[in-house]
Amino acid sequence: MGEATAITIILFVIFFPIVMTPILMSASGRSEKLRNILALLTSAITFIMVLTLYPFVVRGDIIQHTFFEILPNLEISIRLDVLSFSLTALASFIWFLCAIYSLDYMAEEHGGSRYYPVLIFTLGSCLGIFLAGDFFTLFVFFELMSLISYILVVHEETEEALKAGYKYLVMTIIGGLALFFGIIITFELGGTVSLGVGTIINEGSLLALLAFICFLIGFGMKAGMFPLHVWLPDAHPVAPSPASALLSGVMLKTGAYGLFRVIFNAFSIEVMQTSNWDIILGVLAVITILLGSAVALTQNDIKRRLAYSSVGQMGYVLLGLSILNENAITGTMFHIFSHAFMKSCLFLAAGAIIWKTGKRAISDLGGIGREMPFTMGCFSIAALAMIGIPPLNGFLSKWTLGLGALDANATIYVLVLLISSLLNALYYLPIIVPAFFEIVGEDHHGHALQFDVQDATPKMLASMVILAICTIIFGLSPINIPFDLSQMTSDFLLRGGLF
Amino acid sequence: MGLTNHFPALILAILLGISFLSPILFRWVRKASAPALLLSLFLALVMAVYLLIQTTQVGEFSYYMGGWPPPWGIELKINLIRAYMLIVVLAVSLWIMVYALKDLEHELKTDVLGWYYTLYALVVASMAGMALTNDLFNLFVLMEICAISACAIISIKEDRACLEASFKYLILSAMGTGCFLLGVAMVYMVTGHMNYDLVNEYLPVAVEQYPNNMFAASALFIVAFGTKAALFPLHVWLPDAHASAPSPSSAMLSGLVIKIYAFGLFIVFYQIFPRSLLDSIPLNEIILWLSSMGIMFGSIFAMVQVDLKKMLAYSSIGQIGYVFLGIGLDDTIAMTGGFYHLLVHAIMKSMLFMCAGVIIYTTGIRQIKQLGGIGQVLPITMIAFTIGSASMIGIPGTGGLISKWYLALGALEIGRPIFVVIILASSLLNAIYYMPIIVNAFMQQEEFAYEVKAVPRQMLIPLIIGMIAIVFLGVFSRPVIVLLENGLQLFF
Repeated sequence: MGEATAITIILFVIFFPIVMTPILMSASGRSEKLRNILALLTSAITFIMVLTLYPFVVRGDIIQHTFFEILPNLEISIRLDVLSFSLTALASFIWFLCAIYSLDYMAEEHGGSRYYPVLIFTLGSCLGIFLAGDFFTLFVFFELMSLISYILVVHEETEEALKAGYKYLVMTIIGGLALFFGIIITFELGGTVSLGVGTIINEGSLLALLAFICFLIGFGMKAGMFPLHVWLPDAHPVAPSPASALLSGVMLKTGAYGLFRVIFNAFSIEVMQTSNWDIILGVLAVITILLGSAVALTQNDIKRRLAYSSVGQMGYVLLGLSILNENAITGTMFHIFSHAFMKSCLFLAAGAIIWKTGKRAISDLGGIGREMPFTMGCFSIAALAMIGIPPLNGFLSKWTLGLGALDANATIYVLVLLISSLLNALYYLPIIVPAFFEIVGEDHHGHALQFDVQDATPKMLASMVILAICTIIFGLSPINIPFDLSQMTSDFLLRGGLF
Repeated sequence: MGLTNHFPALILAILLGISFLSPILFRWVRKASAPALLLSLFLALVMAVYLLIQTTQVGEFSYYMGGWPPPWGIELKINLIRAYMLIVVLAVSLWIMVYALKDLEHELKTDVLGWYYTLYALVVASMAGMALTNDLFNLFVLMEICAISACAIISIKEDRACLEASFKYLILSAMGTGCFLLGVAMVYMVTGHMNYDLVNEYLPVAVEQYPNNMFAASALFIVAFGTKAALFPLHVWLPDAHASAPSPSSAMLSGLVIKIYAFGLFIVFYQIFPRSLLDSIPLNEIILWLSSMGIMFGSIFAMVQVDLKKMLAYSSIGQIGYVFLGIGLDDTIAMTGGFYHLLVHAIMKSMLFMCAGVIIYTTGIRQIKQLGGIGQVLPITMIAFTIGSASMIGIPGTGGLISKWYLALGALEIGRPIFVVIILASSLLNAIYYMPIIVNAFMQQEEFAYEVKAVPRQMLIPLIIGMIAIVFLGVFSRPVIVLLENGLQLFF
């Protein structure tokens, strides 16, 4: 298969979901079932098509193709390398699972005719971000995804959702403008914003620093970096659970992906390190990790706790990006994978609990593990992975990140990782332990009340179980594709991200 | 050749001619009057396109009225930028007129429709003239025609608010033209000429001999064009005038009329004034800071408005600031952005006013807070509103982003990133006042509370055209940008 095939597949992957959006809209007028099946099919086909790109990536090919110039030197282009492939595959996989989950979850919710088209459209624009060949195209898709996912955030249309949505919208626009500024400065300094030229800005200057800060604001806002995370704990919990899983599991990663591109393609490791910008990122990452975990402790709403946990976990990704050596990049990349599996699983499980019982408060969840053993089982596995218990994947990512920190002689970062693991344990265990061991309504003589096992529906369970299995097998098993991809990515990026 | 040689004059003749014929046609052959106006606007547009093609081939060329060369005769001049202005004016006014046909029936008494067509044609003719003329005195006359007919298309609605607003506009605008006339007089005093090129030729000497005279003249020009184009802080007339006028007039005034004066200022600065004058007095600096303040305050005032059209009017004050920013930054790239914004804003603001017009036509409401849930009953209109707002904010894929891109790039080019910050801050402010309207329109749970008439197709088609144009300008901006870059090279 040649380059032309790959370009066709990439285009298909981006535009197939986008083209399907109006079809889904019109289908929902005819029959809900047709619409749901179409949505599922779209995400499945997209995922499979993404997988067909794997051979290109393994061969080490880079595909960079320009379609047309929107302005002189400012083009619409696509790019496929191992970094973009990893994220594309991850995103389309999680999307597919969430689409399966949505079938039952959304069946009783209102507004399915709006939900599915938006879900599929965001898939297309999200893949567009990962496959963009220059910062401008990336920016276009980034804005598209951010603005459209607003509809997912406010789907419930409650007062709370609208308020959170408004905050999200304002922050998104601020982030978008900052990105715009950053891209303009990059263009001014380097004369291009293409990802295919290696390093665009070769030396640190005041203007370059401004560009870096703007990118940090734009992408960091999306990635939930302190102090721009404020929208995240409001917006993620109010969305319908499959959408929360996507927002936390995948869409946060677009911000991290952007920072990857900024660090390795707009600037370079040398620029980052000689200008000491890695320290800015490192400090912010440490604060993000500790703050996210600490605030998560105080939350009683299960989805809010998960959302704050996401803030903390994205801090790991930023931390790895600030260390910038081989192990750290591998760890960061692998943590992007692990966190996507774990957090999507957690949100889906939490969603199943809320869907079944209507309980959101953690204090009410005692004994839920006996009513919904599979759901809670998946939740527990993912939560243990979050804490970093071997052999789950969370352990591997922390281990690799820790190695990276030690390579860079930054023992303090290892300490931060350990403290954060402890905090994770402190806020996840009080959910899991009572869920299985607290016996609600037991009288003093030990006569336990009967529990009806009423677990979530098979479709919902299927996606959760698959994700839970992923957290297990992508831990320490010998065949670990995400880890291999992470290593390839780190290898590729440290060689300059060109060949 | 023959007839095609006279196209510059014919454009004006056709437009002026139809303005005289309209009332007569309206009286005798009522059905023909509107098509006649549309047809003549269309003919003028075709001629303007022809002129553009001609000027890309032969470069800048002049047309002498009656064959008399300057300094005696009237000279019309065509180059890329002027042809661009001409096409913008004619195309947008043709587009607005299509919409106006239906809207005016609703907003005006039937007997005055013929007069409205007259005034409309006069406004268009005077703007076309301003784009073409190469003579200061002509410019003055055309400014007066434009001002008076613009006042009249506001007050033609004959309600209290309109009369008050148009009176305010009339006075301030008279002050503006007064300043302009004084400025022209001062230039004439020291150079003895009215023709742009001749003035430009004699000014360098005159500036050295009579510097104070020229300082005063440039101050007067800034005040004159500033008042007319609603440059902050001379914008006070605009919100009332644009908000109370019939919607097509608002679209016309906000979309085109203020822009043509910005173009006037551009001509004065870069064609008439010699470079030495611009370098010796920080004229551009004044324009820069006034426009920046306009950009910020226009948006801030817009945020607190409760009336939809008033909000749009305040937004225009901010947006015209971008055009002036482009002029003031004194850099080809920034100016390209400014001129591009001129086109983009002409389309998007006209479209937003049309949306407001549709809302008023179908439901009769004007208050922003009453618009909750309107997206369900007027989907196409509100989608148009969304696209217009997205372009105002500068969302990728819309024309607004391209103009901001160029303005920001220009600001960086001359090493003043502060103006990029201003542009971005104002985008954010735009988002803050446009977004809630859209969100409420589509996301509100309760049903829309007012009765709704069906939207006539004649009103929807222009909206759809506008949407397509905005997205087109956002994606395929290259031809226009290249045209502007080539055109602006003449002035540097």
